[in-house]
Amino acid sequence: MEHVIEMEQVSKVFHGKRAVDGISFTIGKGSVTAILGPNGAGKTTMLSMLLGLAEPTEGQVRIFGLPPKHDAVRERSGAMLQEVSVMDRLKVHEIISLIRSYYPQPLAEEALYAATGLEAADLKRYAEKLSGGQKRSLGFALALAGNPDLLFLDEPTVGLDTTARRRFWETVRGLAAQGKTILFTTHYLQEAEDIADRILLFSRGALVADGSPEEIKSRLVQRSLSFLPEGDAGELRRHLEQLAVIKEISDRDGRIHVTTDNTDEALRVIYTGGFAVKDVRIDQGRLDAAFEQLTLEPEAVQP
Amino acid sequence: MKMKLLMNQCKAELLRILRNPYYVFWSLIMPIMFYFIFTKVVNTGVEDAGQWQAHYLMSMSAFSVMGSSIMTLGIRLVQERTQGWNTFIRITPLPSSVYFFGKMFGQTIMHLFSVLCIFAAGYLMNGVSLSPAEWLLSGLWIVAGALPFMALGTLIGFMKRVDTASGVSNVLYMALALLGGMWMPLDILPQTVQRIGKWLPSYNYGDGAWRVVQGGHPQWGGVLILLGYLAIFMLLSGYIRKKQEAV
Repeated sequence: MEHVIEMEQVSKVFHGKRAVDGISFTIGKGSVTAILGPNGAGKTTMLSMLLGLAEPTEGQVRIFGLPPKHDAVRERSGAMLQEVSVMDRLKVHEIISLIRSYYPQPLAEEALYAATGLEAADLKRYAEKLSGGQKRSLGFALALAGNPDLLFLDEPTVGLDTTARRRFWETVRGLAAQGKTILFTTHYLQEAEDIADRILLFSRGALVADGSPEEIKSRLVQRSLSFLPEGDAGELRRHLEQLAVIKEISDRDGRIHVTTDNTDEALRVIYTGGFAVKDVRIDQGRLDAAFEQLTLEPEAVQP
Repeated sequence: MKMKLLMNQCKAELLRILRNPYYVFWSLIMPIMFYFIFTKVVNTGVEDAGQWQAHYLMSMSAFSVMGSSIMTLGIRLVQERTQGWNTFIRITPLPSSVYFFGKMFGQTIMHLFSVLCIFAAGYLMNGVSLSPAEWLLSGLWIVAGALPFMALGTLIGFMKRVDTASGVSNVLYMALALLGGMWMPLDILPQTVQRIGKWLPSYNYGDGAWRVVQGGHPQWGGVLILLGYLAIFMLLSGYIRKKQEAV
């Protein structure tokens, strides 16, 4: 598979602090990848280096096998950045036509108008008069202006309402279906899970997990059992506490919850040990929990 | 392709400036008001009124263009950077030189417009009469001589905050105008000020136009001083830009 992005042992030091620390990964053509992580995880720094806006302190970044600042890279990629306002005193259609003119093979104007989702009347308005969400949509259209093979989206749906968000991801899926490579940052877990076919999870400048949403989930989600005590709950708890397979015990809604790495083993021990329990349930943790666990204790989950 | 890119960029920058009457208004209102006060209201007691009216018309045209070069350009550059627009342009294939040239072009057209308006005001208020060659030469001098001030505006444009840029450029602008003899002729100011003033870009800028309306022409010394300032400001810009982009 052709590598669109190659990161090799990339670090970025700001004022003696390692914002990004020894990251390596490659991204193949046509993939949709989410860079997921809480604020301050190094997502934006990563993106700046990928876009050639910042130089890595160590390591090497290659896009289409070239340095990110290369003209050929600029011509084949597009980006929607955070905190980019629009050029004032230009109408929406004028900005679109201006940015189109920068690229050798731009996307048709009509396609870009459609990508903004704006009404014909809004296209004739001054861009600075648009609402925040409309400006974001215009930013998306501008990212597509050059008909890019590679698209960077930095927290693209911040400030979009539900309808706009849905339309946005529909367009992105359409682009992915055309074989375009898409990399987006987000701190919405749901988005990463729904849209991406690969998640790169960042925490404190390090890549703490890399895989499909399912892989990340199955590897990291903590499972738990819950049941109702039959008889003396206190005594039951004391017995449970002595089992090595059980990591934690808690009470919620009258049920006893126990977390474990191995639900099969825990069940076997509970049944063969003759514990007085009934109504046993196995609960699958959610990705949210995995996310929290990973980003709070990155060292605990490193492979 | 390159030529078309350049034309598109110039067109867009021009549109943006023409659609922002605020900037044009401010670059005209103060000079024209000053011109009115010091040629119609206050009796300056100069012997040759016609000569003074032509001289002061040049002062005010230069004052206007210098201000828009330093302040309007500088503050707009800071605004565009703080709003992230520059960052977006940097990731497009547009060469930064074309982007920059477009800005300078828009600015220059605005200067041309300001000069025409102020000249017209001088003609209408005081019937300032110059030969066609004098009108043309002085106008061209003021538009072309703005280059070092645009370079200074570009330096202001590297500032992080609009407030700082606006404060610094205001002080620089007023100091340059006063010490350069734009508000009142340099020879009525104290000796020390005169000595400093002669070396400032503002004095040498005004001086070129003052000489034209007296039937002379800009001096080589003045041209060299202006070119020297241009070179210094450009070198500084280049250095700061390198430093800022090498993040």
